[in-house]
Amino acid sequence: MNLFKIVTKNMRQRALATWLTGTSVALGVALAVAILLIKQGVQQRFEQGTLGYEMVIGAKGSPLQLVLNTVYNLDISPGNISWKLFEKLRDDKRVKLAVPFSVGDNYHGFRIVGTTDTFFKDFEFEPGRKPELAAGRIFNFKEDALKSAFQEAAERARERESKERGEEVTPAPEPAPVEHPFEAVIGSTVAEQTGLTNGEKFIAAHGVQPSAEAKEHTENPWTVVGILKPTHTAVDRAIYINLDSFYHIEGHELRSPTAAAKPEEKDNDPDPGQVSSIVVKLQSPIFAFGLYREINDREDAMAAFPAAEIRKLFDIVGNIDRLLLAQAILILVVAGVAIAVSIYNSMSERRREIAILRALGARRATIFSIVLLEAVTICVIGAAVGLVGGHLVVGAANGLLYKASGFVIPALHVQTLEWYILAVAVILGAISGLGPALGAYRTDVARNLAPSS
Amino acid sequence: MPDSNNKPILQLRNLRKSYRDGSGSLLEVIHLRQFELGTGDQTVLVGQSGSGKSTLLNLIAGILLPDGGEIVVNGVDPTKLSEAARDRFRAANIGYVFQSFNLLQGFTALENVLLGQMFGGGHGGADRAVELLKKVGLEHRLHHKPRALSVGEQQRVAIARALANAPPLVLADEPTGSLDTKNGAAVLGLLRQICGDGGHTLLLVTHDPQVMSSFEKVVRLEDLQ
Repeated sequence: MNLFKIVTKNMRQRALATWLTGTSVALGVALAVAILLIKQGVQQRFEQGTLGYEMVIGAKGSPLQLVLNTVYNLDISPGNISWKLFEKLRDDKRVKLAVPFSVGDNYHGFRIVGTTDTFFKDFEFEPGRKPELAAGRIFNFKEDALKSAFQEAAERARERESKERGEEVTPAPEPAPVEHPFEAVIGSTVAEQTGLTNGEKFIAAHGVQPSAEAKEHTENPWTVVGILKPTHTAVDRAIYINLDSFYHIEGHELRSPTAAAKPEEKDNDPDPGQVSSIVVKLQSPIFAFGLYREINDREDAMAAFPAAEIRKLFDIVGNIDRLLLAQAILILVVAGVAIAVSIYNSMSERRREIAILRALGARRATIFSIVLLEAVTICVIGAAVGLVGGHLVVGAANGLLYKASGFVIPALHVQTLEWYILAVAVILGAISGLGPALGAYRTDVARNLAPSS
Repeated sequence: MPDSNNKPILQLRNLRKSYRDGSGSLLEVIHLRQFELGTGDQTVLVGQSGSGKSTLLNLIAGILLPDGGEIVVNGVDPTKLSEAARDRFRAANIGYVFQSFNLLQGFTALENVLLGQMFGGGHGGADRAVELLKKVGLEHRLHHKPRALSVGEQQRVAIARALANAPPLVLADEPTGSLDTKNGAAVLGLLRQICGDGGHTLLLVTHDPQVMSSFEKVVRLEDLQ
């Protein structure tokens, strides 16, 4: 027989109250752990996601929107920028790599991204990690086909604008036939969730998000020619097509230039085409701020550093996290009060037991310890269950999270903060048990030993 | 029966205890000139209801402190000890049997006896606890909780618990008060026999004439005042 056995007997004797109060502690801790795990996991994934994207260039607007659109395939594109700017950046000595992206269609909610073969050959979405094929090959890309697609798109735009002005439309001369292979390389999540296999054809819908009214590009189905290995980044949730096929189809017209480029570039050479954004990798980080300023001085484009934008985003989201954590702590405090109330409520029946133990030779300090230990034990068990529960909840939610966002949170990763939560639970147990323990300490032995009539 | 001239186990001199009544005035419950018990004595202390019998036992056990006078148990005056030392002293030297058994309901018969040992240093361990329960005829009820035992069996467990640390002095406060005549007689016989076999001094308080008549040494509380 020892103190802990007495404590566990007491807890078992009041099993319902023990279970209820322990559960409330577990819920509070599970909530706190889940919030911490999700916050850290999401932030880590988002920050990791920016590693390969040193600088993103797109139309003027919100830098965060540009980053979300280009890096994470979220949100809508802020607009288009000129192909000339892409060419200028590609040829810039300071630039190691420039990859163009165009968005505008989806398949079952998965974004279709028009790009060049550079994306597969040279682009590292994380340092040292390029998109790798699990099956098939990458799409065929030829720059002359892209130029031809740009011409077609510009012609369609001209015809539409003439019609809108009520002018007679003079059909453009038939362009020289250029082959535009409608080929797609799909991310691992796309393959898993749509069931698309290599060689299979699919029809894209207009718009970056699914909609019942969206026009389907039935005339130009794409063929899956390659499936990528999982990267656990936004790449898994995208369908990559050759940029020329993107501009070859109806609806993907070149937009009228929203603003001019720098005046010296304005009239000399007409804009051959447009893209939604350009991801730039520099020869050296020392060029970053110079190029950043240069781009942002332009009236038609802006540059954004994804890592900085994501940090800003999490600074804002951090306040919501703190609010949720405060809520979890409040639940823990309420649980602590519940433990104190529960032990207090049982004090009338406990007083007799305490008096018996005292008559058997238990010291006041022993009685104090028994009651305190009971409150701490409930809190520690509740907190331990909550810690495991929090990880299990996140682990169970990972399936849904993966479907929704393409990444999972490392549910088994134990954070240092969790040990603090456990310590807080011990302190909370001690505080909640202190009042009842003092009451037990002061129990009048002689009065409580008398036979109850 | 051991000779009462042996080493005294309990000595009380000029013992006084008062309480404040509802109106705030002092009410003297105990004013005892002298009382002594030798090793192995079996004495019944009788008195009217409310005459202070239970208070006297609580004073001897060190649960209550006297307003004045001297209590010596097994050569030690527990009132001169710190509270913690007094608790340890009580666990090792005094066994207590109550009218209402006072068993812990969440614990089995064996665990209740082990609890009796726990605070007195675990005298004899589980083997002694089992042996004591066998002595009171409960070898088949070791793992039953009090709720599953009859009142007679519960009081037998209480007797085994009181003797768990082999205390020199056993105090019994109306031990048959909650039992019917047959059970009462059986429990009393058992208590006296085990105390006699182990050489434990027994001080039993009662107002039951039948219990009184079975003892050779009967002391009236009013005669000691």
